[in-house]
Amino acid sequence: MSNLAAMIPVVLAISGVLIWLLYSRKNSAGSPHATAISAIDNGLPAPKHFRYFRQIRQALSSSDAEYLRQNAPMYVAQQALRERRGVALDFLKGLHEDFSNLSRLGRVIASLSPEISHKQEAERLKLTAKFQILYAVVWLRLYTGNLPVEQLERLTGLISRLSARMDEAMAEISAQAAGQFHEKLGT
Amino acid sequence: MNTLELVLSYLTLLSLLVLCAFILTRKVVSILPFFTIYAFVLLVDMVVVWLIYEHFGFNSLTAYYSYWVSILLHAVARSLAIAEMCRYGLRAYRGIWALVWRVLAILSVLLAARTIFDARGVPNRVAIYGTTVDRDLALASIVILLVLLLFRNYYGITLEPLQREIALGICFICIVDVIGNTVLRNIFTSYLVSFFLANQETVRSALNPIFQRVSDLWGIIHLFSFMITVGIWCYALRKPLPARQEMPAMLPSSVYRDLSPAINMRLASFNSRMVELLKP
Repeated sequence: MSNLAAMIPVVLAISGVLIWLLYSRKNSAGSPHATAISAIDNGLPAPKHFRYFRQIRQALSSSDAEYLRQNAPMYVAQQALRERRGVALDFLKGLHEDFSNLSRLGRVIASLSPEISHKQEAERLKLTAKFQILYAVVWLRLYTGNLPVEQLERLTGLISRLSARMDEAMAEISAQAAGQFHEKLGT
Repeated sequence: MNTLELVLSYLTLLSLLVLCAFILTRKVVSILPFFTIYAFVLLVDMVVVWLIYEHFGFNSLTAYYSYWVSILLHAVARSLAIAEMCRYGLRAYRGIWALVWRVLAILSVLLAARTIFDARGVPNRVAIYGTTVDRDLALASIVILLVLLLFRNYYGITLEPLQREIALGICFICIVDVIGNTVLRNIFTSYLVSFFLANQETVRSALNPIFQRVSDLWGIIHLFSFMITVGIWCYALRKPLPARQEMPAMLPSSVYRDLSPAINMRLASFNSRMVELLKP
């Protein structure tokens, strides 16, 4: 009976995932071609949530928190700290969106390439899985108050600097790729 | 064969005839030849097994063997239809297809090896071999479909509606087969094991009514779920088939070569910062 008890839940779970995959519309929005052409015409999508980094940093700064604790009534300070945490969580969600967009672009380019590197694809899959786990851990720690919101400053600051450097490098690659692609399509 | 089985058999035959008529009128053979073969194998098998029942009797040894041969024939035809579904629509994406077919081929070999390993050592009887092999092949079909859909979903390559409904039908019948055959195999190898052992004629005749009852019950469940599957396929073919999707224009190879490492590098930077964030 143990065979039966193990087999049936596994099959039902696999089938549930299978039916969800059959009817999921997650990836149907937007044509892969349009995304790829836009990417090679305009470069990789910039992580747009870093745009608000300065405001977020101000909102999350420890001096602001200290000021609130000393000068505002207790309930106001608590309310403000709760809101700060909410802002941090929203910002983290934004980072997730940036990551997802970039990862999706990678997959679209792979799907439209005549040959792909198994190593690159495996690496992207591994990076995506790792990010999802890290995101869940950071989200949970922020949500439960176990992660000082100030630490987000480190993350955002480093990524925005890196992005700026990457964009310069990408502009050159994109210009070259767009030229070849349009030439191939005769546009 | 009781009245319910008889009625279900007639209804299944009728639904298979409707399915084959749809397949012919919609010219499915031009896009999915192996699915067409699968549907016709189901129809021809049903008629042949029916004729054997009529000629040799429902409880005859010939009927018993022909039933199990037909079940295995279905599994083979279904596997070909699934292989075709994997190839259809994906082969246009040459890079992805080169990756997917290798993964699916390795997986198929592993699942086939598992089937052989699982069937080894069971009492040397067709019914137990049949239930084991049929169950494992159905499970392999589900796993292959799952992996195929995971790939398609990951790369954003959606299934066309017809393929989706065909996959749903195959998935449904495979789920029923896996669960049903697992239960059946458990009964055969525990309560009814004496029925399958040699030199147990007295016990065999005593257990024969139970064996027949179990087989009848499974037959009814199988026929009923099979009718649902055929119904899903008929529903998918009720309208003329839409025009085939255009082949996607491929990007120059250099785009992938240049952009993919850059994208991965940027993704890696997200991860390393997230890790830093968690450091005390």
